[in-house]
Amino acid sequence: MPGAYFTTTEFLDDAKSAATDRGMPGIRTLALPADKYYVARASRQEVQPIVDAFFDKMVDDLTRPLTAEEAKPSQVQKLLESANIKVTGKDFLDASQKVNEMFLENHWADGLPIVPPTPQLVKAMEAGTTLSPKEVLGQVAPKNGTATVEKIAINAVMAGAKPEYFPVILVGMEGFLNKHYDLTHVVASTGSFTPVVIVDGPIAKELNFNSGIGMLGIGWQANSTVGRALQLSLLNLGQTWPQVNFMGLTGRLEAYTFYTFAEDTAKSPWEPFNVSEGFQPGDSTVTVSSSGNPQVFGGGAVAPWTAQGVIDQIVNQIRSRGPVWPHAQKHIIVLHPDCAVELANHGYTRKSLQEYLYEQTRTPYEKLAKQVSFGEGSEEDFIRASVADGRIRPDRAQIFLDNLKPGGRIPVVQSPADFHIVVAGGSPGYDLLFTYPGTNWAHETVKVTGATLTKEGK
Amino acid sequence: MKSRKNWPVAAALVCASMFLAGTAAAQVTLEVMNPRGEIPPPKTLGISPRGGSLDGKKIVLIDNGKYGASNFLDALADKLKQKYSTATIVMYPKPAAQTITDLPQWYPTVKQQGDLFVFGVGD
Repeated sequence: MPGAYFTTTEFLDDAKSAATDRGMPGIRTLALPADKYYVARASRQEVQPIVDAFFDKMVDDLTRPLTAEEAKPSQVQKLLESANIKVTGKDFLDASQKVNEMFLENHWADGLPIVPPTPQLVKAMEAGTTLSPKEVLGQVAPKNGTATVEKIAINAVMAGAKPEYFPVILVGMEGFLNKHYDLTHVVASTGSFTPVVIVDGPIAKELNFNSGIGMLGIGWQANSTVGRALQLSLLNLGQTWPQVNFMGLTGRLEAYTFYTFAEDTAKSPWEPFNVSEGFQPGDSTVTVSSSGNPQVFGGGAVAPWTAQGVIDQIVNQIRSRGPVWPHAQKHIIVLHPDCAVELANHGYTRKSLQEYLYEQTRTPYEKLAKQVSFGEGSEEDFIRASVADGRIRPDRAQIFLDNLKPGGRIPVVQSPADFHIVVAGGSPGYDLLFTYPGTNWAHETVKVTGATLTKEGK
Repeated sequence: MKSRKNWPVAAALVCASMFLAGTAAAQVTLEVMNPRGEIPPPKTLGISPRGGSLDGKKIVLIDNGKYGASNFLDALADKLKQKYSTATIVMYPKPAAQTITDLPQWYPTVKQQGDLFVFGVGD
């Protein structure tokens, strides 16, 4: 079917890249001037001059006979990414600097210095797992690069990770590669979403992950390099690059290491987070989720707070933020230990707190938006469509259908378990809310296995 | 714990060997591995042949749901009607809140709506 595709100048490279990835590099694409279109699109009147300017070009694209290359383009060839590279310098420092320069020029690094991934160091990294270096974990979006254990090991070396961290990195990648995880949106969207990486269970302590004061900050090699290894793996295996096919407008908020931290199971009054996700006590797991800008609650060291007050603030934040997309929404709530203990003293279990949040955040039917922020139709239409196509699980569907009427109260998530409550932070501390405003699921927890260099995660 | 100790030793040996090699040859060569994933190339397809004028054609305008796309496509539809009075314009938006979602089952339905399509505005 002949067609014409409109994008904007800032997204032309992205459009061409995506067209090539899908095997149709010759799609005729018209790039509207970004500096004019994004203001003018607010009204039909304002956008009319742009339509007028591009009309004839569009007609031409729809009617002009094809060139030979458009009709039968050359087959895209597989780029071999397997050969090692030799870099020579006048001394080690010079050679290392040249490696760093070459990797950044090739879009293989993140802008900070990397450890040159020599075969010896990669082999040492691979020794951290029982998996074969050639084992394939999956294809990484958006370009579907093949994620082998060896390739992830190369990126882990570059990140400065220790071999004993490697099984944690591998299962993090396994989570991202789950078919239900919305990786394309997370890694490429204008929303600049940032993965949240939670290490839970006894391996977190054995590897010295920080779960206390400064858990999202610098100074802990495990937090910093596991997150960076995942970032570099996604960058290189999915082959993304800013302004080409990673179009995050501000860039990720935690660009280099993601939000990587561990749960403080010792100070938590409840069972470990991963047990609430269905794993066994004693299991070590990695959860990969995604988030926009996290919200901060509580008083820290400078203001009074109460645990119930923190929960009520979180409820109000969720109720006020919209949109109501219960099929995909997940909320990660990180409570600092004092807050969790106070809640437990008031009788809350993790499960009863999840149920409280589920009930309190329900949105009155009358407050559903008449127009969704993306696409046509109302939020009610969208929720009904989500029930019809199964994105809202059949066992939860009736709750939504029963409440889509005056006086009804619509849950903002599919079930109470979609409030993922984790205990971490200092004493004093703050409490965090991570929310991913995508339209698809981006939350997976995977058990650590195959470790060879640690007692845990075997 | 033994293996933890081996890690810095291995790294030091690599560095030392490179240093020694550098001393002997006055240069150091680092062999490094490519961090990129290999991409299985997709089967490359050509685009559809064009059939000349738009007169009498059924033109499908696909609103991808991004803010402002409807204003752009509404203006485009009116201009198409002015210039090609025998053409039929079909507005066929992507389903609600599916802007960023791959829709393998929905895209084939576009073909049933008309002869040509215009998609916008992608970002």
